[in-house]
Amino acid sequence: MTRVILVVAALFFVALFLVLPLVAVFAQAFALGWRIYIDAIRERDVLAALRLTLLVAAIAVPLNVAFGIAASWAITRFDFIGKNLLVSLIDIPLAVSPVVAGLMYIELFGLHGWLGPWLSQHNMHIVFAVPGLVLATIFVTFPFVARELIPFMQAQGSDEEEAAVVLGAGGWSIFWRVTLPNIKWALLYGTILAASRSIGEFGAVSVLSGHIRGRTVTLPLEVEMLYNEYNFTAAFAAASLLSLAAVITLIVKKAIEIISGVHTPPSKEDFAE
Amino acid sequence: MSIAIEKISKSYGRFTALDDVSLTIDNGELVALLGPSGSGKTTLLRVIAGLESPDSGRIRLRDKESTHLNAARRGIGFVFQHYALFRHMTIFENVAFGLRVQRGGTRLTRREIRNRVDELLSLVQLDSYGRMYPDQLSGGQRQRVALARALAVRPSVLLLDEPFSALDAKVRKDLRNWLRRIHDELNVTTVLVTHDQEEALEVADRVAILNRGALEQYGTPQEIYDHPVSPFVYNFLGNVNLFRGRLLADLSPSMESITERNSASVIGFVRPHEFQVSLSLPEDRRAVQATIERVHAAGPQVRLDVKVDGNKNLVAVDLSKAQYSDLELAEGKEVFLSPQAIRVFDDRAAAEQLVDQGAGI
Repeated sequence: MTRVILVVAALFFVALFLVLPLVAVFAQAFALGWRIYIDAIRERDVLAALRLTLLVAAIAVPLNVAFGIAASWAITRFDFIGKNLLVSLIDIPLAVSPVVAGLMYIELFGLHGWLGPWLSQHNMHIVFAVPGLVLATIFVTFPFVARELIPFMQAQGSDEEEAAVVLGAGGWSIFWRVTLPNIKWALLYGTILAASRSIGEFGAVSVLSGHIRGRTVTLPLEVEMLYNEYNFTAAFAAASLLSLAAVITLIVKKAIEIISGVHTPPSKEDFAE
Repeated sequence: MSIAIEKISKSYGRFTALDDVSLTIDNGELVALLGPSGSGKTTLLRVIAGLESPDSGRIRLRDKESTHLNAARRGIGFVFQHYALFRHMTIFENVAFGLRVQRGGTRLTRREIRNRVDELLSLVQLDSYGRMYPDQLSGGQRQRVALARALAVRPSVLLLDEPFSALDAKVRKDLRNWLRRIHDELNVTTVLVTHDQEEALEVADRVAILNRGALEQYGTPQEIYDHPVSPFVYNFLGNVNLFRGRLLADLSPSMESITERNSASVIGFVRPHEFQVSLSLPEDRRAVQATIERVHAAGPQVRLDVKVDGNKNLVAVDLSKAQYSDLELAEGKEVFLSPQAIRVFDDRAAAEQLVDQGAGI
């Protein structure tokens, strides 16, 4: 009986707070028919925002993957001074509000910031330009890959890599043939999370964007701007794109769990000698 | 000489893993590094392999200075305690790995690799398992794959780190004998780390006993068993009775004493089968009176647990079934024990070594 009550309560809350709003987004987006919806999406600024969002993600995610692998490798395979500090630092973006992150970059790279004057002398624009958006996105998605890999690589240990060394393999060979195949699912999982976060990021990006339509406005910012202009259908149409991205992420994530589950065998001795 | 270990020391922070260890291993020899956990035996093996670098000392492999040689270039086969098979590769690919990553002119063709792997899988009796994955095999089978993989690159030295300790007793025994046969067949210099004295004494040509990072004794299994150089070795080999007391006179004709006569307190070791059991006091009066507390008659011999007057621990005595029935022994009966061999050590030096082993009878 308790079980039934718990299950019903959980389902009720999920429906009320997660499913219903999602449905509402799509309902609102299609309220005036799908022609209007298509037109709203094909609006020049919305398409530009979509392109920019994907561009930012396409730069930020691979950089974070590279950093995540390097950091996890260093942390799980070597002992060095400052290791614990590095582990703690990786978590900063999870603890700091994205708005604060945005302000930090303004302080650093803004016209009146520490590096601003030098940057503007050399004609480099970071704040209120695409590089700023990329920086902000890298910051907020910084921990995702490393957080996923570190416990995984710790659990796996370095036995297989040591075995490969003794068999005569060099560093690259070990990475491509032994390490990467072993961590690929955890890596993909972390990458998906980082990608989904970088597409949806609002706070940090909002501070650094400057809201120049068609140039520095990402999709989440476009949604907000359309909404503030009382252009509800267009706002919800753009929002539905973000929701769609989220749903796709969920499906891919689930698929990875299922597939990698199949490939992670029970390490017990199932077969007798 | 295949491996020369010269004055190797290694510590981790304040823990000394290896303390000035020197050891030479001849070509084609099978040497066991034996010791309790924390004795430094695995560290020594990893130093030989190049997986750890020593703080001081030198390693020579085949008369070549190798202390700072990269592990990948030492020509060594290493078998890990937990197999360390590449879990995402088939058994075939696992064994082929070392051949595939070889660089330059020594690299084999695909066909040669196939032949070599097939040959090795047949050597470890896993011919039809090439397409399986490690998780589909039992522990014993996995360890055989690990051995085949290590042998694939034709190493001049084979190192095994407690290779059988994760396996159950029966499989362990089979694999141990099988390893010895493979070693004899291939004649590859082999170093085996183990904490199991029975395994070491049975399979190795020579045994090196390590204690707290230092080499305690190095010799053939027979030398080690017959002439343990220290109380530590005696205790570690196990199955021995320990007596504390004062040395007044020779107790047995074959006593080997390393202490001054009539010195202060000493420790004496007598193995269970080294007692003569009689029902009356022997003529030379060199015997102690004891009471039989328990009889264990299951097995090839009879084991008696006897209580010696003035000794709070029970003493173990082994005798043959025939002797046992001739003497008509039973629990509660009084007997006289005369040690046929006793090894005596100075108590003060010995006590230090024995304290942390929880030594007793």
